[in-house]
Amino acid sequence: MDKIIIDGMSFTLPLFIMAIGGICCERSGITNLAVEGLSGMGAFAGALAAYIAVKQLGLGYAQAHVAALLFSMVGGMLLAMVHALMCIRFKANQVVSGVVINLLSQALTIFLVKTINSTVFGRPSDQIDLEVSTRFTVPGISSIPVIGAFFRNVYPFEVFIILVSVVVWYLLYRTGFGLHLRASGDNPHALDAAGVNVSVVRFKACVLSGALCGIGGICFAYSISAQFSSDYYVGYGYLAIAALIFGNWNFMPTLAACLIFGFSRSLGYQAVQWAQLPSAWSDLIMILPYAMTLLLLVFFSKTNHAPRALGVIYDKSER
Amino acid sequence: MKTIKKLLSNDAVFVAIVSSVLSLLVGAVIILLLGKNPLTAYVNLLQGSGLLPKGKYGGGQSMLTDFVSFVDAWTPMIFAALSFAVAMKAGLFNIGISGQMLAAGFISTVFIGYSGLNAFAAKPLVILTGIVVGALAGSVIGWLKYRFNINEVVSSIMINYIFVFVVSFFINTRYLDHVSRRSREVSAASRLTLHQFEIGGYRYDIPLGFGLALLAAVAVGFLFNRTVLGYEIKAVGLNRVSAEYSGINSKRTIFVAMALSGALAGLSGVTYYLGRYASIGPRVLPQTGFNSIAVSILGNNAPFGILFSSFFIEIIGKGSAYMSSRSGLDTEIASIITALILLSSACSAYYLSLRESFRSRRKADG
Amino acid sequence: MMNDMTGEEIIVEMRGITKKFPGIVANDDVSISIKKGEIFAILGENGAGKSTLMSILYGMYEPDSGEIFIRGKKETISSPNYASSLNIGMVHQHFMLVSDYTIAENIILGTEPGAKALGFIPFVDMKRAEREVKELSEEYGLSVDPGMIISEAPVSVRQRVEILKMLYRKAEILIFDEPTAVLTPQEIESLLNIIKNLRDGGKTVILITHKLDEIKKVADRCAILQRGRLMGVLDVPSTDTSTMVKLMVGREMDLAVEKGPFTPGKEVLKVEDLTVKNSDGVTLVNDVSFTVHSGEIFAIAGVSGNGQTEIADAVAGLLKASSGRITLNGVDITGSSIRKRVETGLSYVPEDRHNVGMILDLELRDALIIRKYYLPPFQNNGILNRAEAETYADRLIEDYDIRCSRGGETVTRSMSGGNQQKAIIAREIDMDRELAVFVQPTRGLDVGAINHIHRQIVRERDRGKAILLISLELDEVMALADTIGVIYSGRMEKIAGADKLSPHDVGEYMMGVGKK
Repeated sequence: MDKIIIDGMSFTLPLFIMAIGGICCERSGITNLAVEGLSGMGAFAGALAAYIAVKQLGLGYAQAHVAALLFSMVGGMLLAMVHALMCIRFKANQVVSGVVINLLSQALTIFLVKTINSTVFGRPSDQIDLEVSTRFTVPGISSIPVIGAFFRNVYPFEVFIILVSVVVWYLLYRTGFGLHLRASGDNPHALDAAGVNVSVVRFKACVLSGALCGIGGICFAYSISAQFSSDYYVGYGYLAIAALIFGNWNFMPTLAACLIFGFSRSLGYQAVQWAQLPSAWSDLIMILPYAMTLLLLVFFSKTNHAPRALGVIYDKSER
Repeated sequence: MKTIKKLLSNDAVFVAIVSSVLSLLVGAVIILLLGKNPLTAYVNLLQGSGLLPKGKYGGGQSMLTDFVSFVDAWTPMIFAALSFAVAMKAGLFNIGISGQMLAAGFISTVFIGYSGLNAFAAKPLVILTGIVVGALAGSVIGWLKYRFNINEVVSSIMINYIFVFVVSFFINTRYLDHVSRRSREVSAASRLTLHQFEIGGYRYDIPLGFGLALLAAVAVGFLFNRTVLGYEIKAVGLNRVSAEYSGINSKRTIFVAMALSGALAGLSGVTYYLGRYASIGPRVLPQTGFNSIAVSILGNNAPFGILFSSFFIEIIGKGSAYMSSRSGLDTEIASIITALILLSSACSAYYLSLRESFRSRRKADG
Repeated sequence: MMNDMTGEEIIVEMRGITKKFPGIVANDDVSISIKKGEIFAILGENGAGKSTLMSILYGMYEPDSGEIFIRGKKETISSPNYASSLNIGMVHQHFMLVSDYTIAENIILGTEPGAKALGFIPFVDMKRAEREVKELSEEYGLSVDPGMIISEAPVSVRQRVEILKMLYRKAEILIFDEPTAVLTPQEIESLLNIIKNLRDGGKTVILITHKLDEIKKVADRCAILQRGRLMGVLDVPSTDTSTMVKLMVGREMDLAVEKGPFTPGKEVLKVEDLTVKNSDGVTLVNDVSFTVHSGEIFAIAGVSGNGQTEIADAVAGLLKASSGRITLNGVDITGSSIRKRVETGLSYVPEDRHNVGMILDLELRDALIIRKYYLPPFQNNGILNRAEAETYADRLIEDYDIRCSRGGETVTRSMSGGNQQKAIIAREIDMDRELAVFVQPTRGLDVGAINHIHRQIVRERDRGKAILLISLELDEVMALADTIGVIYSGRMEKIAGADKLSPHDVGEYMMGVGKK
């Protein structure tokens, strides 16, 4: 039971922060199918920073962890700028841009990892090893039955994600920037008429999205494999997109979707172990979140309201 | 010169050429930065695809054998890009081609590839199974779209992953080859590529599906230019509301278009998994399915454009191994260049507006 | 009309403004000057260049030549933002509002009152915003609830929000672009009062319109534009309307069309107790019944948004009827597919010619066969007959005088609005169906095209077709109809012969105040 909660949360939260990244971008009116690619690039940059911090600079574990989180944001932001430029400046089809950025990110990260490993560190490998993340347990609360498990063996990044998501929520719903961002996804003409530059708002939203996806990427790298290789996160970006669509582009329902995905996954894995099935059965467990998304969409898609201007290239002259 | 000018004045040709040239230039810069000669690298790509002669050949190999292998790799890409184009004409973004390929490839592998039927029965059956399974997989997406209003991008991504893990489960539990870690190879009789077929001392991988791919391109062109169904698909894709007002049953049209798109993806799947290859890797979606999206867009979603753009993109894909072995560049460089071309082709509207403003400026200058 | 202008200070002056668009001169050397504190109307037909002129003043277009002076100072107004900084505001025909936001949020968007929590965390002070909006709305008699979500607000409230947006930004020069087009008569009345209030509060108001009665009611002076040229600036109280009309259209407005005697034949369309609801369950058409006979033009008059387009869409099958019965040529078509209805005897020229009536990215030849492509001789065993489509297109282009640069190969998007409409009407009339439904067939067209289309409608009626005409233009209804049905908030208020109703009567029913 504890294991289900602990594993469930460590999957749910990175997925959630990626989904928030998607929400930031899509609420501004830019379709973001590049969540996967952005998180991959973020994970790569973060992992590289952590590796350099430990192996080259001889820094401690905590500093490496901070460096990883910081640089994962930088990595995600850099690639997000490409998506933003494509969608805003070059008026590209946003779906195509997203899909291709995923392709680009995968090719680029493999290539960079290989090249850097062989030329800089002198060891041919297509992975970057990370230190295993420590976990902590909150004394007191953690001994409460069942619920206590939420406070046991917690990765530090889980706390970070919760903090960041609160900040982003505040940014989106309480500040002028948030007001502009959401207006830009609903009626960019109104925002423009109010004297706010729609392109700038969307660019910022997109870059913010990159930073959040990057965090999600590096956290998956820590929680799943304690190493970066470009194929471990395949599919999670799309799962995050499913979560935010299912969550109607709002924070709390999206979190609910992520919890469903996270817990059905950890429950499934646990069930395979209890039943002592061969490991191939985990493939079937992996289907659960995707199948569940489809099924839920069948029931809920009627009430689904995407941001009105989502995916529409903003053209001042068309009113 | 005149014909070249006329060709360039065609928007689609202009966009394709601009984006290819731009990306090759960027690729060249990257290769230069890595301290290699981009020209040699590009020549290597052509050599690897059998379009230029290599310095020396191993036993049983020649430029022609390389070219035939290239065509073997090219075939599934043609089908996949056509598949995307058909859905796109109906206004649908079929990002599920990979999954449809996998489903068609897997079912054909299990039921015919492992059946021991002779070649005359097996090969047509593989093709037929590919078409049927692909069409079913595609029409599910069309059905979800018109029945429940589920965005086809989301549903096809979900279905992609469901297929991947289901196939992976069955391969790992029942069909695994413990040496290659892939599914067991299908029988030679069922394969759509004549593997290492010997003619005059040379060994070729002859793709039997290639003729079918060309035929499919012609058929798709005919569908959209000359048939009632093609007219309906185009009308729905351009403006669904107006098409409905005109009396066209848009739901049925979407369903049929997705089934057709799926059938083509299925053909891509069988020429890939029971042609170019003979087995399936667990937990992997074929990259061809995703690249085909951009190949189709680079070819302006038109059959003849697609023949050219797929040819071009596949040169990079197929030639990369040889380039890597000759110049020591990673094969990923090829993927990066491909991605750049595809990214660049998505900017078509921008190039066209640039050209427009350039033209009007020239006009204004006299 | 009281003309209580406070001074003769010129606040806006536009000199020699010329603006060309491809193929059209929208403004041709137009010069106007507007005094501070007056209501200045700009009158002209659709396409006369009124909106273009004001868009230039608001910084949305740059003029090809000409100068603008604001408060005596020469200005180059390069963006709406800059116009705002000069205290110029504009209410557009299409409202620019964020539908998910509250009224207060919409008003403050772009100029949010900021505050800092704990001295360093910035946030938008919504409490202050709501208070300010409340105060402002009371000052000018524009009552709104600041907390209401825009998507739930009726059209007239949205318009008030647009006005408040201008006032919140301290606008002194207020431009209204056809503000009454979307309003009911009562709402028009109250808007005109608001406009007068604004003037009395010291604001300068520029009113773009093509409706003479509104100008008569509120404007102090008016400029008249015709095909881009300024025909004159008149003092409104001392000028009679027929002079204005003459300047506006270049000749006496004559919408009367020659019609044969009214001899109704058999019943073609019978609508019984029709009710239509939208997806939110709101009733748009409420228990409406009427019949249209062959040889009859049945016109439905009413202010926009009272359910008339929904009646047409329900008859044509684009909307589902919630209850009631629709019979065409004796066949119950209530639940039939669109194609079945067309085959039973329906043709339909819809209101939205760009998004519904025609697929603008098709070539004209393909767009013209869209009702018939599936029938021989246009197809054979599923294969299209290209030559047949070619001949057919050539014939329609010839017969209906459709102007297109490259014949059947012209992409319809590149054609002018009038010719797109001619193509749609040609396609529909040529089907030769017993019932022809026209919704707003002449909206936005020039007088020549309007006459051309009116003559075609009457010709069809004289040939014994049943015509259902839905129009927002009372003049059009009065000129064409044999029978008039007046709709008001989804209900048919009155059905009577055209000879038994005066425009005044119809007007009263349109406002829901006619005698039952």
